[in-house]
Amino acid sequence: MINRLLEPLQYGFMIEALLIAALVGSVCALLSCYLVLKGWSLMGDAVSHAVLPGIVLAYIVGAPLALGAFLAGLVCAGGTGWIKMNSRIKEDTVMGIVFTGLFGLGLVMFTKVQTDIHLNHILFGSLLGIERHDMIQAVVTGVIVLGTLLALRKDLLLFCFDPSQARAIGLNTTVLHYVLLSLLSAAIVAALQAVGIILTVAMLITPGCIAYLLSDRFDRMLVIAVASAVFSAVVGTYISFFINGATGACIVLTQSMVFVLVMIFAPKHGLLASRGRRTKLPVVSGQGR
Amino acid sequence: MIEQLLTPFHYEYMVKAIVVSSLIGAVCACLSCFITLKGWSLMGDALSHAIVPGVSLAYLAGLPFALGAFVSGILASLCMGFVKSRTRIREDAVIGIVFTTFFAAGLLLISIFPSNMNLKTIVFGNILGIADADILQMLIIAAITMTVLLLKWKDLLLYSFDPNQAKAIGLNAATLHFTLLALLAATAVAALQTVGACLVVGMLVTPGATAYLLTDRFGRMMIIATIMGATTAFLGAYASYFLNGSTGGCIVVLQTALFLLALFFAPKHGIVASRLKARSSATALSLQLPNRLQVSSEVA
Repeated sequence: MINRLLEPLQYGFMIEALLIAALVGSVCALLSCYLVLKGWSLMGDAVSHAVLPGIVLAYIVGAPLALGAFLAGLVCAGGTGWIKMNSRIKEDTVMGIVFTGLFGLGLVMFTKVQTDIHLNHILFGSLLGIERHDMIQAVVTGVIVLGTLLALRKDLLLFCFDPSQARAIGLNTTVLHYVLLSLLSAAIVAALQAVGIILTVAMLITPGCIAYLLSDRFDRMLVIAVASAVFSAVVGTYISFFINGATGACIVLTQSMVFVLVMIFAPKHGLLASRGRRTKLPVVSGQGR
Repeated sequence: MIEQLLTPFHYEYMVKAIVVSSLIGAVCACLSCFITLKGWSLMGDALSHAIVPGVSLAYLAGLPFALGAFVSGILASLCMGFVKSRTRIREDAVIGIVFTTFFAAGLLLISIFPSNMNLKTIVFGNILGIADADILQMLIIAAITMTVLLLKWKDLLLYSFDPNQAKAIGLNAATLHFTLLALLAATAVAALQTVGACLVVGMLVTPGATAYLLTDRFGRMMIIATIMGATTAFLGAYASYFLNGSTGGCIVVLQTALFLLALFFAPKHGIVASRLKARSSATALSLQLPNRLQVSSEVA
């Protein structure tokens, strides 16, 4: 029995997959706390789709794929901001237009270029078959993002919570805005080749929400988000070995399961806790709704 | 030359693909006017991903795929509503969590039970290889959606613009909300076959937004959007014959190109027009100022 459970750890590729999933997961989880506070959850979705033409272009030119992806991500985020400022269309609509336009362009270019990039790997990831240079790329990018996040932790937090306050105390909010966007693009690039577009989106949203339900303090939120991401990465990869299913999907579903549990049982903001409060204080909860 | 341009029409599958795409393009565009006004763009994206597990379950059970997809889309939107109303998490994050969960469940199902349904079909659409049964399903969806839109467009319009006002004059806001969601899910199902899960949101947003830049009247907006949706889908499907692939990509790229044209050159709301207006009012002001000064000096 125990032998059977330890079996995955005998394979080198499984250990590598576990480590990469945990690393990418923690980088995305840290970022997700800021994104959830800022209300940028779906920016991750948009940027992660928009990197496709950058990857194909980089392949044609012979540049590193990560560089192309990063630039395309910035074009998406920057273009969205610019169009929103210069037209009367709502931000979410602009986001939808820009990222589908870029993704469509990427698809058309992809069909015209003979590449050895596997579109399936970009979309769904291939954690178990990850290649050495992709792994190094993910680690380097991940560490850069991690370092910047730690160095600018307080500035970014104030910017996400209260931009006007940040401006008032003399922080350059425009720079912080673009720093956060660049970090987002970089984290997506790091995660993309390892775990795929779809999983990246989930990793950039769910851990932050889990932590937000469990804590009111930002420092604790960061710790909880990383812990939940690492836990789901390990458990998900592990499960996928036994049921022989898509690794990325297993990780996302484990994360969602944790979210549902937290949503129900969280000590203060969970469904059960707030139901208990509601029966005690019907008037207050009536006003709240 | 002309012979060559007409070759796509010699193939039955191309004719089918072009006709069906144009129809779906028109229906999506019609709905997109409401979606852009209501601010539900990302809901369209979320639903188009959330219907995937329904599609794979329906294939496994041998049911019509549209049914499974529709049920799964409605289920996802109910989950979003539940989580949003019961927790303190923002709506956009809730949408993100729910749709990634559904999509992951779909992926897992496909990876565990490999069927004749290809992952690529779902993500990129496969209008060139569409089966007759699927065409029938799409025609039914299109007919129902158009009928509901034509019958209820005033109510839906008021609800999209101003839900409170709609409630005040006695419309049932909850029913309208659900109707719009159901229409969105249904068209997402139809568009999935044409352009694939990742690009559905383009079809459901871009025509409406483009028309919104071109006119201030809702009736005209719907007409412009529908014409644009049908034309781009027609041309995109046609062009994909020559480009040899990715019908969805061609359609959405065309739509984005038209949007960019409208963004810059729209007569009233375009960037060029508003820059010119700003400049002309600035020059008018600078011309007026000395005159006024003269007048005031004469008075003095």
